[in-house]
Amino acid sequence: MRLHLFFLILGMGIVTFLPRFFPMVFLSRWTLPEKMKRGLEYFPISILSSIVFPLFFFNGEGRMEVQPHLLLSSIPVFLFAWKVKSLWGSVLLGMAIYWGLGWIL
Amino acid sequence: MEDHQIKKGMIDALPIVLGYLPVGVAFGLLARQAGLTSAEIGLMSLLVYAGASQFIAVEMILKGMVGLPILITTFLINLRHLLMSSTLSLYFQRNRPFILTLLSAQLTDESFAMAMSNPSKIKNQPHYLFGLQSTSHLAWITGSILGAFFGGWIHPQSYGIPFALPALFICLLLLQLRNLLHFYLMGIAGALSILFKSFLPGNWYIILTALITSGLGLALETRVGPLKGLPQGGTGKE
Repeated sequence: MRLHLFFLILGMGIVTFLPRFFPMVFLSRWTLPEKMKRGLEYFPISILSSIVFPLFFFNGEGRMEVQPHLLLSSIPVFLFAWKVKSLWGSVLLGMAIYWGLGWIL
Repeated sequence: MEDHQIKKGMIDALPIVLGYLPVGVAFGLLARQAGLTSAEIGLMSLLVYAGASQFIAVEMILKGMVGLPILITTFLINLRHLLMSSTLSLYFQRNRPFILTLLSAQLTDESFAMAMSNPSKIKNQPHYLFGLQSTSHLAWITGSILGAFFGGWIHPQSYGIPFALPALFICLLLLQLRNLLHFYLMGIAGALSILFKSFLPGNWYIILTALITSGLGLALETRVGPLKGLPQGGTGKE
């Protein structure tokens, strides 16, 4: 283990830990206003939407470019997940379709 | 009782494990090619445990960069965890700081999304969340080390593997939809995130989208009341 890399990794660990740590440890001790609590409950849906939808429209370098392989694979997964609400089913179906499309596209 | 909760969390982590192992392998392989040793790779996955920022750090190391630029980039990419940590704090009131520290250290997008798919499971159940998160973390470390040693033999791009985590996120997103307002918010957040990502650096698009969408959620909810009317609800919040 090289020393400068050890400190780099340690530093990365610390700067990643801090934003994970502070809200959970401090907000949980305060009684938040009701409105703020309800606002926080909209975070999951907002965060998940902003993780999912840009996947189909940006390439690996972050430039805007439609990703047909991902977009086409996602459509049946959206429908299946909506109807069946099964995590394993969605994952396995998504992988199968993505794999299958790889032969065609 | 506590063991039972840990075990439940471990079982619920398995879809994440399926997604993390191959991405971990890809990371281990790339990091090995960038000249990191297996020990350095394992340590990074143990201490940092944040996929995208680890990939970017390795690319920066490969370009000969070290030190501050990597730390700043890592910090900015992972700043979005502030949002998730804030949300989780709602479900862990009055838990001991040591436990909260442990839980917050292993917070990721995937485990957060999984935990929020049924918040009644995590409410004051630190053991459940610990089981969920540490199983996911272990998969990430294991994948990274496997990739460091055997990366050349495994092909993390085949068998539909790149779509495992996106498919998981799609299902977890749809599980969040419990009424019509949520449906609108998903559309708004989707459009905003694409717009913001097109001109903002790093992961600011996630943070900005979450703040605006949540504000809109509050505004719409108080004006028209929670809209009801979707036939198939999610897993149901009490």
